Amino acid sequence: MKRVDLKIVLLGKEYGGKTSLLERYLYDHFHGDLPYQNTIGAAFGAKKIQLDDKQITMGIWDTAGSERYEAMSKIYYRGAKAAIVCYDLTDSSSFERVKFWVDELKKFEEDCMIYLCGTKKDLVQEDRQCRKIDYHTTTDYADEIGANLFETSSKTGECVRELFTQIAMDFVNKYVPSSKEKNEDLILESPGKKSTFCCSS
Amino acid sequence: MATASCKSLEDSETARESEEETEIPKDFEPGASSESILISIDLYEEVENSPGSVYEDVSYRRRKSTICELERSAGKRVLAEEQVETSKSFDDKSQDGQLKAEIGHDESIRIKNSPNVEPIRIEMESIQMSSDEEKHEIIETAEDIHNPEWKQHSKHIFILSEAGKPIYSRFGSEDKLVTLMGVMQALVSIVQDNGDVIRSIHAGDHKFVFLVRLPLILVAVANTNASAPQLVVQLNCVYNLILSVLTSTQLCSIFEQRRNYDLRRLLGGAEKFLDNLVDTMDSDPSFLLVAVRCLPLTSAIRDTISQSIVQYCSKVKNVVFAILVAKNQLVTIVRMKKYSLHPSDLHLVMNLVNSSDSFKAAESWTPICLPKFDSSGFLHAHVSYLDDNCPACLLLLTVDKNLFFTLQECRRKIVERLHRYNCLEAINASLESEGYSVSEVGLPDLRHFIYKSKSAAQFTEPRLEAPYVSNEDQSNLFGLYQYLHHRMYNSARPLKILFYVGQKEIMLSWHMAGFELYAAFEPMVTKFTAVNTMNKLVRWIKKEEDRLFIMNAPTI
Ligand SMILES: Nc1nc2c(ncn2[C@@H]2O[C@H](COP(=O)(O)OP(=O)(O)OP(=O)(O)O)[C@@H](O)[C@H]2O)c(=O)[nH]1
Ligand SMILES: [Mg+2]
Repeated sequence: MKRVDLKIVLLGKEYGGKTSLLERYLYDHFHGDLPYQNTIGAAFGAKKIQLDDKQITMGIWDTAGSERYEAMSKIYYRGAKAAIVCYDLTDSSSFERVKFWVDELKKFEEDCMIYLCGTKKDLVQEDRQCRKIDYHTTTDYADEIGANLFETSSKTGECVRELFTQIAMDFVNKYVPSSKEKNEDLILESPGKKSTFCCSS
Repeated sequence: MATASCKSLEDSETARESEEETEIPKDFEPGASSESILISIDLYEEVENSPGSVYEDVSYRRRKSTICELERSAGKRVLAEEQVETSKSFDDKSQDGQLKAEIGHDESIRIKNSPNVEPIRIEMESIQMSSDEEKHEIIETAEDIHNPEWKQHSKHIFILSEAGKPIYSRFGSEDKLVTLMGVMQALVSIVQDNGDVIRSIHAGDHKFVFLVRLPLILVAVANTNASAPQLVVQLNCVYNLILSVLTSTQLCSIFEQRRNYDLRRLLGGAEKFLDNLVDTMDSDPSFLLVAVRCLPLTSAIRDTISQSIVQYCSKVKNVVFAILVAKNQLVTIVRMKKYSLHPSDLHLVMNLVNSSDSFKAAESWTPICLPKFDSSGFLHAHVSYLDDNCPACLLLLTVDKNLFFTLQECRRKIVERLHRYNCLEAINASLESEGYSVSEVGLPDLRHFIYKSKSAAQFTEPRLEAPYVSNEDQSNLFGLYQYLHHRMYNSARPLKILFYVGQKEIMLSWHMAGFELYAAFEPMVTKFTAVNTMNKLVRWIKKEEDRLFIMNAPTI
């Protein structure tokens, strides 16, 4: 059995739901009743995941969204194999920050796979008026930059596990030499322009 | 005010007499040890006697950087990368002319001239205001300031930029205080134009205290017992907090590039650090005394804890400080040889841990600047609680930003060893007992005291018990301590001993070469008994010093 380390970084505007997303994934809980606690610097969490014969240890960096840390963000995303760039579906300005982070990653971490993640989906399902970011705008953008797109809710857990599993699978396909035939590898290694629309309803 | 209705007895005669009675050696100092973990300084003498330091320019700090020195000694390259990153341009999208326009609304500023308010006294470093200028009364503006609740707060803290742009206010929204802050900026700059520095304005019970630390201006407005120098010390703490999140390098370069920058953008999420700091300063003697409160522990346990940290941290290069704190009390500090921590820096670290629960959820890796250590750059802190069931938080500070995983492992081993030697239980037991009761001292007239060892920069106090149970009684007592402290440090007439008859208690304070002691007594106690009690008290503290203070200063 092979052990592999996968570094993932969560980026996005403050109050965007990054910490909640990670806590849902790691501990399967959501503390919506507790007051919002902004992350300071970055928090680190790890989780093991089993894919076929491979055990992958994800090291996940949950960064603080405050602009103050922008200048130091490299410490956290350097060498990341995947970045989850979060935006709050109920806050239009949060998508502007997505563009900032995507540009930054394209510039400094070319090889980092990008996953766009619209958070707090339960809120927009409850009240359609709450949605401030048009779904098609985000899919168009995801296609343009060659990123995957997910819409998640940390409250209900919708799509959260799927997001991280997808990252792990993409990582394995891209970096971990498969014991199977070579040509399959080649197909998988070609940069996927396709977006995955998980749970789009 | 309490002071008006109390008779205070104090003269140098009594002072000399009492000192003889105490028979305490001149250099007696319970809590002191040959080497101190903290740097001992006298901030109040600084504030009182060298006004120049009130108006210091941060740029001097660029001359030498402790962090660079550390990095060089570790054979590392200088933080070149970060330096470039921090100096990248901060463009300000907000409207430039906004402030001017608002000040232009003359109608919104009214100057009230009510004859029954005491005239304002403006204290400056050299210039005395001429009498006709004294007639200007409290300046009021519309909006928030007319809100009675806003006015009721006994202390306000404001931060504004040199250009007068609001950065922080403890109460109310900064946006609504644009005009008020504009006035504050104007006051500062008018005095500055005359080549002077404004320090404070006194109007009735209110003090307006200014601290100019360009590119920032800090203002405290209070009608509490806090004296003007004490408020300056508080403002200094607030200023240091800003540096701790931004560094002086970043702060200066931002405003060099854009005088009108809205700093609130960079302080997002830090407001709660500021709020927490501003609030605790009104009840926590740490800030008043510029000293640190230690968690009482037997010296055996404390040494085990320190040794555990030393054992694993010494294997890691570049750990500058390892700090263990529990509920605002210091458990231990392990430091790199040659480097000591300033109590103010430690206050900021404790404030950071206290103001946020987010460290409880996961281990964190965060940049932090310790301004007294080196205001020009960041250290990197690995922050984690020891255990879900133990509210002690361990901070491992380093100059190496790539050390996270090494420190994670180091921390794991430390915690393992602490478990093995039952240190967590000992910490929890001490926290649960909430310190000690004044009755343990066995002096019946004594209600409460605060003792500071000057060279150790540490203090001790028993827990607050009856009659200091309600918030109001507790804050009255703290107000008395502030008052005593102020009288003792009064620059014109520093005192050695002060016997003060309050409305509900008798207060005594006593300064010796090595310590400061402030105590509250039953209201009917005689001067003779009180002085005798103080004498016995310091001997009790001496007996307990191993438990109450950190006497060892382990290094790595
Ligand atoms: N209803 C709902 N609320 C959410 C969801 N995710 C996050 N929130 C709430 O949004 C707020 C911010 O969430 P955080 O996860 O702390 O945001 P963050 O991105 O980590 O913020 P920073 O650490 O400041 O960068 C919190 O009050 C959460 O309870 C969600 O899926 N549904
Ligand atoms: Mg967060």
